[in-house]
Amino acid sequence: MKTISLPLSEAPVPAQAWSAPLLASLRRTAGLLFGSPLNATLTLAFGAMLAVALPPMLRWLVLDAVLFNPAPAACRAASGACWSFIYAKSGQLLFGIYPVEERWRPALVCLLILALLGWSVRPASWTPRLLALWIAALALIVWLMGGGLGLDEVPTSAWGGLPVTLILTVVAIGIAFPVGILLALGRRSTMPAVRIAAVIAIESVRGLPLLSILFVASIMLPLFLPEALLPDKFVRALVALTIFAAAYLAEVIRGGLQAIPKGQYEAAAALGLPFWRTQYLVILPQAIRVVIPALANTIIVMIKNTSLVLVVGLFDLISSGKAALADPAWPSPAAETFLFIGAIFFALSFSFARFADFLERRGPAAR
Amino acid sequence: MLSDARTRSIVIQCLLVAAVIGAATLLVTTTFTNLQTRGIPIGFDFLMMPSRIVISEAILSYKSRDPYYWAIVVGLANTVFISALVIVFSSVLGLIVGVTRLSSNPLASGTCRVWVEIARNSPPIVLLIFLYSLWWKVLPSVADALSPLPGVFASMRGVMVPSVHISMATAGVVLILVAGLLFLAARLAGSLRSFRPVLSWAAVAVLLLGLWFADASVSLDWPVFAGSNFQGGLELTPELSTILIGLTIYTTGFIAEIVRGGVLSVGPGQWDAGRSVGLSRSQILRLIVIPQMLRVIVPPLNSQYINVVKNSTLAIAVGYPDFLAVMNTIISKSSHSIEGVFIILGVYLALNLTLSSAANWYNRRIAIVER
Repeated sequence: MKTISLPLSEAPVPAQAWSAPLLASLRRTAGLLFGSPLNATLTLAFGAMLAVALPPMLRWLVLDAVLFNPAPAACRAASGACWSFIYAKSGQLLFGIYPVEERWRPALVCLLILALLGWSVRPASWTPRLLALWIAALALIVWLMGGGLGLDEVPTSAWGGLPVTLILTVVAIGIAFPVGILLALGRRSTMPAVRIAAVIAIESVRGLPLLSILFVASIMLPLFLPEALLPDKFVRALVALTIFAAAYLAEVIRGGLQAIPKGQYEAAAALGLPFWRTQYLVILPQAIRVVIPALANTIIVMIKNTSLVLVVGLFDLISSGKAALADPAWPSPAAETFLFIGAIFFALSFSFARFADFLERRGPAAR
Repeated sequence: MLSDARTRSIVIQCLLVAAVIGAATLLVTTTFTNLQTRGIPIGFDFLMMPSRIVISEAILSYKSRDPYYWAIVVGLANTVFISALVIVFSSVLGLIVGVTRLSSNPLASGTCRVWVEIARNSPPIVLLIFLYSLWWKVLPSVADALSPLPGVFASMRGVMVPSVHISMATAGVVLILVAGLLFLAARLAGSLRSFRPVLSWAAVAVLLLGLWFADASVSLDWPVFAGSNFQGGLELTPELSTILIGLTIYTTGFIAEIVRGGVLSVGPGQWDAGRSVGLSRSQILRLIVIPQMLRVIVPPLNSQYINVVKNSTLAIAVGYPDFLAVMNTIISKSSHSIEGVFIILGVYLALNLTLSSAANWYNRRIAIVER
């Protein structure tokens, strides 16, 4: 086994650093760790667990790992993780089978989507103009990915990796949100036919695993639809994800609608507002604010769900990871690759969760 | 005329119904033309024919000359088996992790927090594929199998656990016994008004007597290392173990958060109130805190359990033949895709409806009855 000696600083801590607040916080930590028999037991149990698990993990992840050496032989020789594979294959992992010389296009698309997401989460930018901005951006994204008008054409079957994940997430949620609102309103409608149709649509989708819906979309649609109307695989997966998201969002929004007191409807009626203006100006803004935590959870689930499209043969992050692993020149570091892909999903979902926390804390008072 | 609310609502509903019927007719006619042009027969007769498909592992016994319907049952049994085990494991672990997250000990609560954040923010399918790729890297060969508990061995070839052999008669009695115990548990957790201890204990006593008189042949089969492999016991293959471990890690993260929310929802004033009327700590817990907590956690727990059933379809990612994977094979082998899809939809809807109506029944029992 190869050992790497780290240049640890051995300099003694100066005495004056032990100031009073530091001592007090040390004492408080010690009290939390060993203050009561229960805490002492917990500390010992978890300490022992971490002491067993962490050192080998750290050795594998960092100390014995090959970090940047681009030679596959270095990975074969090392006992730790093979991060140089991720480094060497990053283009293939992130963009899948997209033509190599055109990779700047999906890279630009990813940056564009992430930048727009960053822009959109600022409450200050929530105006009707934002919607127009997104629609323009989507047109630009489709042009950049698909080509035409001066760019080489790339069919959706050659799209892959991170842009597929990001586009599916953004477009599916973007379309599912208004559809979900309509379904939620339909479910609370006084018209029995509308209500029944909404209930059947919502409950039958929610009763099924997403995989089975994707599956139906991929094997049933070719039978259902005339050949001329049949969308390609990418659009089929997008439709399945959108239907799924809409049913779940509808239930979350229904929860918010139920929380709106009757007085709000009566006040809107007293002002003479018709149905849709009542919903748009009075009810929905309040209903959606009530359910922000639940909406955030649903959206995180959607981000994670895009990973399932690999079963219908789309080249998302996981499939491009698997494809990269098939290179016989490398020792096939599967754990490292999936850790990397997991980290990308984690970064997306976790930052969204933190953003939702911020929205929740900000609350209605900040408006 | 359209300004009249009644007329408008009737017009809207007629339009909706017409649109639904129109779309359905269009779909059905195109489907039939498509089926005819491709020469695909339709009907459920194929279910009785020998399937000749391969199911790599199964809880029930299966041979490739068995008919299609049995292959479906075998796949369904695998799904139910995975879901049931994951539900039990993740409920127990979720309770522990959720309560530990509330501990003031930073080491303990921090570790549990890391678990919860990883589970909530990474896709389960990536978790499963990652764990599966670790299997051969981390675990030793069969000869050096790890044994964390007596009778449990983990190696590259999978996990060996002791298996229980039960005769059919005993199995029936055990089932009734479990049903009786569940009934009793529901009674205990339910309102105290309807709790009649004598009756319930009598029921248990009768069942125990029944077990005694039945052919009570229950034997444990311990795995033993013999020569080059293990003999006896139940073998959980790497695929099955990965799904059980991965889905349990994932679901535990969510259940822990539900439990934490439930504990926090019972305010400290409830404990003070209990003390002020002279109840002991365990009485407060049993009579005041747990009933209120259950009310908060049962509905979200129910949706987690349904999620477990749905997530069990991810078994396809590591090649374990769950119900959906078996149906997938059947559809591509028999080309009866329409019938296959209807079976898929029907079975998952039935499974989820059963689970949620059981939980709703339980929820109604523990809910506050407002008069």
